[in-house]
Amino acid sequence: MAVSETSLPLADAPTATARAKVFPVVPVALLAPMMLVNLIAFILPVAQLVRISFLEGSGGVLTDTTTIGNYVDFLTDAYYLSMIWNSVLLAFVVTVLTLLCAYPIAMFLHTVSPRWRNLLFVMTISPLLVSSVVRTYGWMVLLGDQGLVNNMLVGMGLIASPLRLVNNTLGVVIGLVEILMPYMALSLIAGFGRLDASLSEAAASLGAGRLSRFRRVTLPLTLPGVALGCLLCFVLSISSFITPKLLGGGRVFLLATEIYDQAVIQLEWPLAATISVAVLVLFGFALAVYSNVVRRFD
Amino acid sequence: MTLAQRTLDPRPAHSAPAARPERGHLRLEGVTKRFAGDVNAVSDVNLDLERGKLLGLLGPSGCGKTTTLRMIAGLLPITSGRILVDDDDISLRPPHQRDFGLVFQNYALFPHMTVAENVAFGLDMRRVPKAEARRRVAEALELVRLPGYGERKPREMSGGQQQRVALARALVINPRILLLDEPLSNLDAKLRDEMRREIREIQQRLGITTVFVTHDQVEALTMCDVVGVMSGGRLAQIGTPEDIYERPASLFVADFVGRTNILDCEVLNGHRVRLGDGVYSCAATTIRPGKAKVAIRPHRINLTPHRDRALLSTSTNSAEGRVLRTTYVGDIVQYDIDIGGPTLQVETPTHGRGLAVAVGDKLLCEWRPDDMLVFER
Repeated sequence: MAVSETSLPLADAPTATARAKVFPVVPVALLAPMMLVNLIAFILPVAQLVRISFLEGSGGVLTDTTTIGNYVDFLTDAYYLSMIWNSVLLAFVVTVLTLLCAYPIAMFLHTVSPRWRNLLFVMTISPLLVSSVVRTYGWMVLLGDQGLVNNMLVGMGLIASPLRLVNNTLGVVIGLVEILMPYMALSLIAGFGRLDASLSEAAASLGAGRLSRFRRVTLPLTLPGVALGCLLCFVLSISSFITPKLLGGGRVFLLATEIYDQAVIQLEWPLAATISVAVLVLFGFALAVYSNVVRRFD
Repeated sequence: MTLAQRTLDPRPAHSAPAARPERGHLRLEGVTKRFAGDVNAVSDVNLDLERGKLLGLLGPSGCGKTTTLRMIAGLLPITSGRILVDDDDISLRPPHQRDFGLVFQNYALFPHMTVAENVAFGLDMRRVPKAEARRRVAEALELVRLPGYGERKPREMSGGQQQRVALARALVINPRILLLDEPLSNLDAKLRDEMRREIREIQQRLGITTVFVTHDQVEALTMCDVVGVMSGGRLAQIGTPEDIYERPASLFVADFVGRTNILDCEVLNGHRVRLGDGVYSCAATTIRPGKAKVAIRPHRINLTPHRDRALLSTSTNSAEGRVLRTTYVGDIVQYDIDIGGPTLQVETPTHGRGLAVAVGDKLLCEWRPDDMLVFER
């Protein structure tokens, strides 16, 4: 203890008697810019959001009256309850599909020779270089009734009339899975980094076939990466707004899109704030599940 | 002996009592590995390892010894040749069907499992009933002197303990052949010594055919029944430790195994060489007269004070030399001695008194012709 304190590179090092209570100037100074940004851009707005969610609004005007009515309205309305359920379900389905799509990619990148790994890794996360708005428009072109996918399927004679791939929940799921895949892949690759190739070889020498090796060794050891990727995708897909808005064609009602509608179109700020707080609570639950999983496997 | 049989007998108690579990006899025929674009990593390795023997594959890094072991284990496909166990060609069999025990340099214990779960892994894969598996795990841990450590996680154990767990895990499945890939190189010197003895003792007690990869010649000489020295992907020599040390087949083997003086010489005829200013008798050689190399072990050279010259026998080589340097090592003293041209390194054991030798002293070096081996350059 004494060693670490004395080793602080303080220019105006105080006398030995005051040493025990030195203020950690350097760490605080280094953290200060980020703490300031977080305070202004995150903590204060969230506090403001919570405050608004307890205010009464009438006809687009905020009053000074404090109330819990917004929460009562929100949580007793069957429409909103089913919206919460739909959002969670959609985020869950998107997360699982993203995991299933990204896991083989991460596994392949882990085993491929180092010469190719970097190039393939950059290719895997390169979609992040393009804005998700642009990618969403891309999916609208591909999935539309006259889109590439439908034209191909019809042209090949596999289906008689175009499939409804867009302007519904299916379209939102397809778009979100593709958009979130790089995040999942990144998390999984980080998880695979801890997996020593000799572990799988040891399992093989002990008589484990391909499936047993995966089930007993590879999967359990990459679970922390899986948990991180799932947390990220779940949170990002619940809060994603542009993709459901565009690919849902106004027919898919989710918490994020509802917040936008209430805040910008209906000017119901208190209700929008209430839904936002509800989403934050959902994130809290997801985080709790995540830390539970990680603690169990670490 | 009885403990070992009881411990690792694969058969259930009700089957016919067997003297000892069936151990394989390993044969490699022209085993070759070529990586894409590269020259051969391993070329034409042939060996025949008797049942119950310990083979050491010795060589510098990159000589192909680990590649050879990985091919035997089935972790690397062979390019050509055959690997046979008890005359059964297993060249194409995947590792999980070979029934070999494998111990890695980095232990490769499963970090998410306890020690007991690690050791039980191979038994799980073989669908051994739970109660029997528990008993065999306990016995295997006892065999490696870690009883009661079953509930620990590998990361809570020292390197030596982890390596014992890895050994127990490989042995509990009663493998036909045990493969050890530099199992001691991550341990400190004292522990390495202890583990060396222990592995050898367990190997002999179980009578298990074993291949042991090492770059440490002391390990190879002290532990193994047979040593194969590898160089550049080839088996340079295979033989007993004594063969390898006393009768190295090539300059590489002489140089790699044990300390040795390698000096330029000129072969005069089948038993005489010129070394610097002197002409000496050497071990019989078929090398044609001309430039060659000669190898002499430093500790096979006797030093005597100059005045004792009258005692010399005529069948011994002797050379007068001047001490250039002395190095006190503890158990031995090393001298660099100029014998008129080449410099000889000589080692003499210390007895607590020893010769009072100083730099610049004149001494007489003596060695037997048989200790002077001649090789092609």
